[in-house]
Amino acid sequence: MANYHPSDELLMEFTAGQKQDALGIMVACHLESCLECRKRSQVFEQLGGEILGDSQETPLSEGLLGKLLSRLGESPAPAKETDVQGDARLPRPLRRFVPGYFDSLPWSGLSKNIKEFTLPLGDNRYVAKFYKIAAGKELPVHTHEGNEFTLVMSGQFSDDAGDYKQGDFILADSDIKHQPRAGMNEDCICFAVMDAPLKFTGFFGRMLNPFMR
Amino acid sequence: MVLRDQNLSSENAKNLRPLDDLIKRIAENQDQAAFVELFEKAGSKLKAYAMRCGALDGEAEDIVQECMLTVWRKAHQFNPKTASGTTWLYTIVRNKRIDMARKTKYDVVVSDDLWPEPEGEDLETDIERDLNGKIARTLLHGLPDEQRQIVYKVYFEGKSHSEIANALDLPLGTIKSRLRLAMKKLDTLAQEQMTWLIIILLTNF
Ligand SMILES: [Zn+2]
Repeated sequence: MANYHPSDELLMEFTAGQKQDALGIMVACHLESCLECRKRSQVFEQLGGEILGDSQETPLSEGLLGKLLSRLGESPAPAKETDVQGDARLPRPLRRFVPGYFDSLPWSGLSKNIKEFTLPLGDNRYVAKFYKIAAGKELPVHTHEGNEFTLVMSGQFSDDAGDYKQGDFILADSDIKHQPRAGMNEDCICFAVMDAPLKFTGFFGRMLNPFMR
Repeated sequence: MVLRDQNLSSENAKNLRPLDDLIKRIAENQDQAAFVELFEKAGSKLKAYAMRCGALDGEAEDIVQECMLTVWRKAHQFNPKTASGTTWLYTIVRNKRIDMARKTKYDVVVSDDLWPEPEGEDLETDIERDLNGKIARTLLHGLPDEQRQIVYKVYFEGKSHSEIANALDLPLGTIKSRLRLAMKKLDTLAQEQMTWLIIILLTNF
């Protein structure tokens, strides 16, 4: 079971349907493997039900019920975006956005030990990527402009604040300067969603920075 | 805001069960009379919800139609052991609203991505479902109005803290601390529920 979870506030926004973006996908991936957060989310859903029940009634147009009844025989909606198969080893919310599994992705190299793959989830708010850090290697020290959310997909990594394993959901804000290091035994693959591009500090960082855009 | 009538939601709570029965009748017998009754009970609330989330009148009625059609087609998926009928309706209107609000090519995420249809058995039990309902009601009524107001804003408007501060004409710090207090209370309640879950799991297996 995961040790690091989304905050109550984020989980509530997610449950209330206010996160239909890359960050929402990440929360959904965490929920798939975290019973505890699924339970918390259910409390928030129930809250939504109570709020719906509390809604004042807004009058409906007269013909609406008739229109609706005439549509009951319609065949169900056509195929959906989400009918794409994808790789079953990935969490369901991500599957249709990833062509294959980690070993066959078109990774691009930031360096020999650090690779990235940009997910087609980007909007004007977030950038979404997979990072692959080779076993025992570390990312250059960096700070964040804005928030960076990380979900460990496979392997482990650690930084000054803790050790993280598969399923852990971590938020690093702009105050944190950290240097994630992958576990010694296997490569670490993370799903990252960030507000703004990473800013590396130090010489190596400056070298890398242009590639992070 | 809506918070005028404190008794409203306990009234509503009493009216939850009939919704369940209507949905069951639709699932089992394709019962049109039950469908009409459900529309009369819930349609105008679904519309009110959609409009408070920002939909215009016509859009809100489209959302109501799509919700009701989904109820008709998927009534068999309603599992009263996991949630009340009202909560099930809530998840439907939430999903329809976000799918119909997608406007640009960057809005690639749909509700089915965020809430895939369940593959396996749910763990829930009746006890748990009733407990969920009880917790949610306690919570909603246990929160002071000023905290509840912000919680409602999250549910309906998806505004940032600073937008909420502007709307309520309060300092940002006040909004943040009220939300923090509300969340602390929520957390306590969610933990209480976790304790129950563990007890239920231990006694069932
Ligand atoms: Zn969790």
